[in-house]
Amino acid sequence: MNTQSGEIAVDVKSLAKFYGAHQVLFDVSLSVAAGEKIVICGPSGSGKSTLIRCLNKLEDHQAGTIRMLGTELNEDLANINEIRRDVGMVFQHFNLFPHLTVLENCVLAPMLVRRQDRRTAEEQAMLYLERVRIPQKAGSYPGELSGGQQQRVAIARALCMRPEIMLFDEPTSALDPEMISEVLDVMIELAQDGMTMLCVTHEMGFARKVADRVVFMDKGRIVEEAAPSDFFDNPRHERSKLFLSQILGH
Amino acid sequence: MSNVAIVSGEIPPPRHDTFLAAVRKGYFATPGAAAVTSVCLALIALAVWTVFRWAVLDAVWSSGGPNVCQQATGACWAVIAARWRLIFFGLYPYDEQWRSALACAAILATVAVSCFPFSWSATRLPLVWIAGYGVFYGLMRGGFLGLPTVLETQWGGLSLTLFVFSTVVVTGMPLAVCLALLRRSRLPVIARTVAVLIDGIRSLPLVAILFTAAIIIPYALPHFLVGDKLYRVIAGFSLFFAVYQAEIIRGGMQALPAGQEEAAHALGLNYWQTMSRIVLPQAFRHALPPTINQVVITFMETSLIVIIGFFEVMASGNAAFSTAEWSATYVEVYVFVAAIYFAFTFTLSRYGAYLERRLNVARH
Repeated sequence: MNTQSGEIAVDVKSLAKFYGAHQVLFDVSLSVAAGEKIVICGPSGSGKSTLIRCLNKLEDHQAGTIRMLGTELNEDLANINEIRRDVGMVFQHFNLFPHLTVLENCVLAPMLVRRQDRRTAEEQAMLYLERVRIPQKAGSYPGELSGGQQQRVAIARALCMRPEIMLFDEPTSALDPEMISEVLDVMIELAQDGMTMLCVTHEMGFARKVADRVVFMDKGRIVEEAAPSDFFDNPRHERSKLFLSQILGH
Repeated sequence: MSNVAIVSGEIPPPRHDTFLAAVRKGYFATPGAAAVTSVCLALIALAVWTVFRWAVLDAVWSSGGPNVCQQATGACWAVIAARWRLIFFGLYPYDEQWRSALACAAILATVAVSCFPFSWSATRLPLVWIAGYGVFYGLMRGGFLGLPTVLETQWGGLSLTLFVFSTVVVTGMPLAVCLALLRRSRLPVIARTVAVLIDGIRSLPLVAILFTAAIIIPYALPHFLVGDKLYRVIAGFSLFFAVYQAEIIRGGMQALPAGQEEAAHALGLNYWQTMSRIVLPQAFRHALPPTINQVVITFMETSLIVIIGFFEVMASGNAAFSTAEWSATYVEVYVFVAAIYFAFTFTLSRYGAYLERRLNVARH
């Protein structure tokens, strides 16, 4: 299912999501072409993480449709597993498996899900670990690495599945300030290689540099969707202006 | 030298106290502390000396009969020399007791082999145990190659204890994993039913479960399903072990951050892959200390099967001094049986400590 540039990779229509009786997403529609980089931002509680977690069914949605790479995400387990194979995810808290070494973290899914043999999987894992500049730590356990190193391993682990789309859920929010750039550098390189990316992040420098579009969410709705230059320099909505003044204001 | 240290801001590393200095600081720091320490040392010395005199100096060893023992003030180890076969083998026919000894060794070897990390795979572990039990059962039960048949009702002593204990753990552990997973099921009917089952069985005393398995089940089941009393008792015991162990494992799973399962799902791992590769290995690491605890308790509790007529090592010990000539030697027999229990449980806890060290390497 190799997607060509220009094809629709992510197609979200009228999405609604409830936690019990509490609605957290309202009529969210978003379409992302293959190769596009989208940055999703907004104040905390705006539903941006929930939206991105719906895209690989870590959260169920209650109304609307989500099509990933042409396959609809419904209750069909086979569909969900197929989508998850091709959609990588990077979490705020890394979520590396602490009982496995870095290399084992990277080969686990390719071997179990893609049925690769160990040698192929390890060679490929080393390739990606080199790309995130951490091959020397292949034999270490996650607990022995710094936050920035763990997050780079988490990116390599997701890439080892050779995903078509990468989802980033606040990948730098849990990092000490001096480690943020090493992770962003890896993400920028990934973007330059043409990966389809959806990033929930407050790193506005990153957004300006790589995003094709910035999606601003507030209170469970998409408020504004614009090219980064338009969004940062001429935000059209009051709430966007307020948000930008709050995060850029000092 | 000191100038250099001051200039660079370094001070010499603190020196460790010598042994004597540490003892003085820790136990004799004040007159009160010195007094308490001295009194405790004197009491310990007295206790050790008394036991030593009883157990070694004044003891009667194998040469004496019961009459010699009556004159002695110390321990009468002669009872062990005379009755050890009863303690180790129970009512197993005297001439066939070598089989019971070999069967015992087979179970011990099986346990030992499965304790090595090398054996921890889904194919090796079952193979090791099937082989171990095959050898055990063949030797104990006989009925082939000219070995006379010995029925389960005649099995006894240490080999029975080890057989019951290892079977309870080996069958109870997978059952516990199943129960723990079912209790976390997303389907409320399954989760609730299993929760009620677990809490229900936990609220019953083990003795009641063993009685039920031995005596009541045969009335409730069709004849061909009843099986031997020994296996019913083991099944009941194993269920009892499983419900406790299931809660221990569930506790271990709850200690995992939700992100672990999410990350596994996001990589495309299915339910079984997530459980077997990510959740359970970590849950067992978290749950290791209470698991070892549970296993040790289970070893002790095997002595309860005596109430439905099985002569495991404790009951055989009781039988060993129940004749008129040895009736005064119960302390010696109990000390001996206690030493057997201690040897096993101490080994188990040392193994637990080894496992914790080994698994800790991969944590942090």
